[in-house]
Amino acid sequence: MKTKPFNSFELAQMQFDRVSEQLGLDAATRELLRWPLREYSFAIPVRLDDGTMKVFRGFRVQHNDARGPCKGGIRFHPMETLDTVRALSMWMTWKCAVVDIPLGGAKGGVICDPHNLSQREQEQICRGFVRQISRNVGPAVDVPAPDVMTSAQHMLWMLDEFEILEGAKSPGFITGKPVGMGGSLGRKEATGFGVVFTLREALKELGIRLQDTRACVQGFGNVAQYAIRLYQQIGGTVLAVSCWDQEDQEAHTFRKQAGIDLDELLAITDQFGGIDKAKASDLGYDVLPGEAWLEQDVDILIPAALESQITADNVGKISTKVKIIAEGANGPTEPQADATVNDRDIFVIPDLLANAGGVTCSYFEQVQSNMNYYWVKDEVLGKLDVQMTSAYIAVSNLARKEKLSMRDAAYAIAVRRVAQACRDRGWI
Amino acid sequence: MSPTEKPTDEILRALQERAKELTCLYRVDEILNRAGIDQGDAMRELVESIPRGWQYPDTCLVKVILEGRVFRRNGFMEAPWVMSAPILFEGREVGSLSVYYTERRPNADEGPFLEEERRLINTIAERIGYFLLQKKLRWVLPGERSADSVQEGGQRWSVILDFLRGTDRALLTRITRRMINHLFYNGVDAAEGLLQRFHPADADAAALEPESNQPQTRNALVDLDDLAQEAFQLASTQLSEGEVVRCVQSWIKEESSGFLHSALENLHAPLPEVADALERVHARGILDLELPLAARTGLRVALLRRFFSSELSFINCAKEAVRVEDFCELVRRTIHFPKTHGKLGGKSAGLFVASRLVERSREFESVLTGIRVPRTWYISSDGLLQFIRYNSLEDAYDLKYREVDRIRREYPYLIQAFKNSPCPPELRQGLAAALDDFEDRPIIVRSSSLLEDRVGSAFSGKYKSLFLANQGAKRERLAALQDAVAEIYASVFGPDPIEYRAERGLLDVHEEMGIMIQEVVGSRFGRYFLPAFAGVAYSNNEFRWSSRIKREDGLVRIVPGLGTRAVDRLSDDYPVLIAPGQPGLRVNVTPDEIVRYSPKKVDLINLEENRFETVEIKDLLREHGREIPGIQQMVSAVEEGHIRKPIGSALDFELGHYAVTFEGLISDSSFVIQVQTMLRLFREQLGFAVDIEFASDGVDLYLLQCRAQGYSPESMPAAIPRNLPRDKVLFTANRYVSNGRVPDITHVVHVDYDGYQSLPDASSMRKVGIVVGKLNKLLPKRQFILIGPGRWGSRGDIKLGVSVTYSQINNTAVLIEVARQRGNYAPDLSFGTHFFQDLVEAEIRYLPLYPDDEDTIFNEAFLRLSRNILPELLPEAADLVDTIRVVDIPQETRGEVLRVLLNADLDEAVGLLAAPSIEASQEERAAPPAELAAEDHWRWRFAMAECLASDLDPERFGVEALYLLGSTKNATAGPASDIDLLVHFKGEPQQRETLSLWLDGWSLCLAEINYLRTGYKTSGLLDVHIITDEDIARKTSYAVKIGAITDAARPLALAYGREEPSHQS
Repeated sequence: MKTKPFNSFELAQMQFDRVSEQLGLDAATRELLRWPLREYSFAIPVRLDDGTMKVFRGFRVQHNDARGPCKGGIRFHPMETLDTVRALSMWMTWKCAVVDIPLGGAKGGVICDPHNLSQREQEQICRGFVRQISRNVGPAVDVPAPDVMTSAQHMLWMLDEFEILEGAKSPGFITGKPVGMGGSLGRKEATGFGVVFTLREALKELGIRLQDTRACVQGFGNVAQYAIRLYQQIGGTVLAVSCWDQEDQEAHTFRKQAGIDLDELLAITDQFGGIDKAKASDLGYDVLPGEAWLEQDVDILIPAALESQITADNVGKISTKVKIIAEGANGPTEPQADATVNDRDIFVIPDLLANAGGVTCSYFEQVQSNMNYYWVKDEVLGKLDVQMTSAYIAVSNLARKEKLSMRDAAYAIAVRRVAQACRDRGWI
Repeated sequence: MSPTEKPTDEILRALQERAKELTCLYRVDEILNRAGIDQGDAMRELVESIPRGWQYPDTCLVKVILEGRVFRRNGFMEAPWVMSAPILFEGREVGSLSVYYTERRPNADEGPFLEEERRLINTIAERIGYFLLQKKLRWVLPGERSADSVQEGGQRWSVILDFLRGTDRALLTRITRRMINHLFYNGVDAAEGLLQRFHPADADAAALEPESNQPQTRNALVDLDDLAQEAFQLASTQLSEGEVVRCVQSWIKEESSGFLHSALENLHAPLPEVADALERVHARGILDLELPLAARTGLRVALLRRFFSSELSFINCAKEAVRVEDFCELVRRTIHFPKTHGKLGGKSAGLFVASRLVERSREFESVLTGIRVPRTWYISSDGLLQFIRYNSLEDAYDLKYREVDRIRREYPYLIQAFKNSPCPPELRQGLAAALDDFEDRPIIVRSSSLLEDRVGSAFSGKYKSLFLANQGAKRERLAALQDAVAEIYASVFGPDPIEYRAERGLLDVHEEMGIMIQEVVGSRFGRYFLPAFAGVAYSNNEFRWSSRIKREDGLVRIVPGLGTRAVDRLSDDYPVLIAPGQPGLRVNVTPDEIVRYSPKKVDLINLEENRFETVEIKDLLREHGREIPGIQQMVSAVEEGHIRKPIGSALDFELGHYAVTFEGLISDSSFVIQVQTMLRLFREQLGFAVDIEFASDGVDLYLLQCRAQGYSPESMPAAIPRNLPRDKVLFTANRYVSNGRVPDITHVVHVDYDGYQSLPDASSMRKVGIVVGKLNKLLPKRQFILIGPGRWGSRGDIKLGVSVTYSQINNTAVLIEVARQRGNYAPDLSFGTHFFQDLVEAEIRYLPLYPDDEDTIFNEAFLRLSRNILPELLPEAADLVDTIRVVDIPQETRGEVLRVLLNADLDEAVGLLAAPSIEASQEERAAPPAELAAEDHWRWRFAMAECLASDLDPERFGVEALYLLGSTKNATAGPASDIDLLVHFKGEPQQRETLSLWLDGWSLCLAEINYLRTGYKTSGLLDVHIITDEDIARKTSYAVKIGAITDAARPLALAYGREEPSHQS
């Protein structure tokens, strides 16, 4: 058995082909959107600490900018390939389009392993990257962000180099900056809150009173914590939360029939979202196996940890009471499990939509930086609510009208918006 | 030789600096020879000047009685320690000269006074007599003075010669002889004549009777005075003044350290004698470097042998580093006993030599300037003998020859016996003096065994180190210190060190143990006392996390607080790792990694509770964060994925938005370069790789320990066998190899590169990770290895390697990454960086394979052709047979196992198929076998399980069959393993209850026996799994093990010769 090696870009193209079939896109549009608009590949020579020179290879792929300046991360990865970057840049185009923010999709990367590089060397790579690509990026062209193995620090080095070349301050060139250095407030909350904004709308649509619902959350990191916070604030009850235990090297589920108390749990949680088992037990929580979170009799499941958590093996354990799955994580439901979930009429808020709060907040950061005027947190979160709510309504309307699953509808609306922009511009 | 060329005072001035007696005498002569000086004034000046010639001038007073008049300083008081000499004039006693010590001083030749001082006082008294005579003569012969001034130079020569003539004729002889020899060797012909006069018969006799067995006759030196006069006259015509001075200086100097030599002549010279001699060296201001080369080397070697060790390699490197005067300092802080012959032990030796090396190198290496050594006291090794003799505890000596379980049983009583025994009075006094020196600063009492810290036998952690808070009244502190010393003495007879010594063949060596009492570096913060940070550093980096790090770049493990957390492997916390040669390359680079692997706990001393404690860093810093010096260099601010060094005191320890990273310390201070310089210096000067312990109070860096870099038994470099038949080799590696030996691998899990790359989608690739995770739980722990393409634990692009978390691989023995050439480049491997620190703490080995390199073997064909047992183990993963292979090695090779041998020194590793080590000869094992060899653990357990089975009445308990599982069955049980039993139960509930009780009894008994054998305490040794017919039918839980394909349960014969059950594996 020798199948062709799997290639993430080909997978992304296949996925796109399926949607374009549904939408009946013409051949030219398909050809345009199947491939990136522009691809840059360049050398970044860096003098290492030991005095020798090493040349690194950098990429920037701009998939589509019909709806606005490109947006996408820069990855540092030792086995980065152009195809990976292409696939991810396409994904960014759809992600921005589904929440209807005026941005296109891009992605970049450098083939390097930061574990093999000192801070100074990494700084030189960042600055070298910007020197090579500065003419083809910028606040109105293409806006980078942190990604795999890059952090706020890398963004600041890149911003600094860009501003040196421009001869002017240009905080809107890049996002993911720390607050006070052009960053936006509310970024911590954005993804988790975004999940709950879409969840709230879904409940409205299904005619369920949020105050009567109970939910289980997988994960206790940033996304999960803020999702729980907002969900409980507006009246919901979280029955159980599951999280990884570093010491036991396995996950546990913490359950309290009356509903968990977020602050009580946060007080016994480490920096990585690990809850202290013994203390939780003392506080009256049932400590159950890791998978128990999806077996509870609740209305809502919020997987907000890792990918591929709901699988063909465990999808059968989901309680018949469950009405909604809100995908806070990326790809938490495997395709086989997805089919079962659809058959059982469980309403899924797909990841593309549910966790788009993060990219929306990045967009807000960019807007604020361009104005050089920064909003208070409530203003950021208020605008996030508006954006997410209207995005949700658009997707669900389409799903109803065209009898699509929410997942297909989200994809379709994104592709349609981008195709429309290309056509309006007269590209095709 | 003109008078201007050599100022006449030169010799004397030079001598002035060197030899006190001469100085003093010169001063005396100067006073007495001053033109027209009045007798009274002269005496008054003498009273002031003479004390400087004595060993303890500060407490020295002089009284001169002359013709009824008494001359003495104001405030003079008589004291019992006095030395006197009569002043004679024209043959009768006209007065006396007395020298007093006002305080007690150590006994020397004549009370506290030296032999030389006796000669000196006699000479001065003589001079005073001569002065009186001269006064009279001058009055008689006024012309005398002018003759003096003409021959001034000559007269100065006479002063020296006169002095020696009057005081030390032996010295005069030796110096004269040396001067003549010196002249002769320098080709001064005239010296030959003098030489012959020195040894008139020598040349002829020797020439005439070369084979004579008869001793040569001794010729008395009748004309020594003339000879000396002539020799020096000759010298002054032939040599420059400077050279003569240098010669005389160094000869006199050498002579003056002679008493030290004689004190050290035999190796077993009692320490007090050596101590006194050293004290005299110090009092005289003799400096090592001013001694002639041969003399100082001889002294240094003698001192090193006396205090530390006769090992040649040690002496060879140490003798360059130490100076004679260093020992003065050392001996002052050594607690010793009358007639003691003990030494100070390995730990003390290492630290002493290392600290001297640092001291000596400061001039070349300015970064070492800030490095200090904490105040340290030593107890010489025979303290232990004294302690035992004083308390009649001699029976402890025989303990070591008993069985280890007996030692273990008796040891707790022995500790109590030692702790309840009083210290000998000398020891008690010594400890009291040490406490006065330490005041109430916390101290650590460390063992310093004579066997410890030798190359190849690093007894690290075998003997005890005890922290003492050292608080309270002196009586309490002394009691605590005595208690600690007794406990450390008892630890010599503990089961673990004895076992360890037996393994190393050191059991018969008479163990003596020195003790080091060291001030704990640090400061007080509220009720806590701790250093800002501490850690260990190694010359060789055996855990490289990047291909850019070389082995000799070294490794530093650093933690906040006491270094105990850096020395030990931690299971729940992580030290910060740095390679000093490549400080920029960090193990953890993303903000997530940095925070996850940052230290979370700190060891410290609680001064209020008087004990050693571990507390959470966040609790400590919340209370005292701002007070700890240098804290800004230890922590970084963490804000939403941005980690940065704090500026000023911007950190809020209340909020806890920080992580301990030591970033400032590493990048902005000289710490890394200091450690690196020390490691390099020690490696160069000592000739071997070292590990050092350090600590810092936030201001200075302290060196706490230095010894040869040791290996735990698991991390010894393994011997790599040569000329192996190719078909026995599974793989070889020759890049980035660490040390170690993994002997009995039964299973290999191999993720095939091509198979993996040809998987259709990411979710199948993820499934590979999940299957590996399941295998990790299924296969016998630490008995299988994982071989995979590219990067284990790959995040991001899953095609680069199998995506697993640490928990999915944590039972493997070795993690292997294969870098297959793709096109013209081989991909970077991860070096395990995704869970590097977890691997290090769990001692899981990492090995990269580069199969496309020349001279390497990777026998993938063997793996491909072997039967893949994956479908049998995990039927649900059968579709991945082309990607994941699980090979049962013994099955494929008729009972052989895979053995992985790693040798970092050679940078070579090999995985070879061989007979299991239980049956194999011990050839690869570097160390001799242990008394209780590794295989004994499972053999004993196996025998016990058989014994239990033969005792189990199946009718009474309703037992159908009994099986053995797990490590005992697999012959891998260690000292802490339990015995897994599988009971096929068919009886009534009542029977089940009695069975459980019966097995519990066995379990407790076996646990107790195991404890006595090994020292591992468990609450029970049996792990019993009871299954029923139903379980077997449904193949649930452990029932699958019966008749399983791999790792099947082994049936045990039950009582009354019942036949074994029919399921046979």
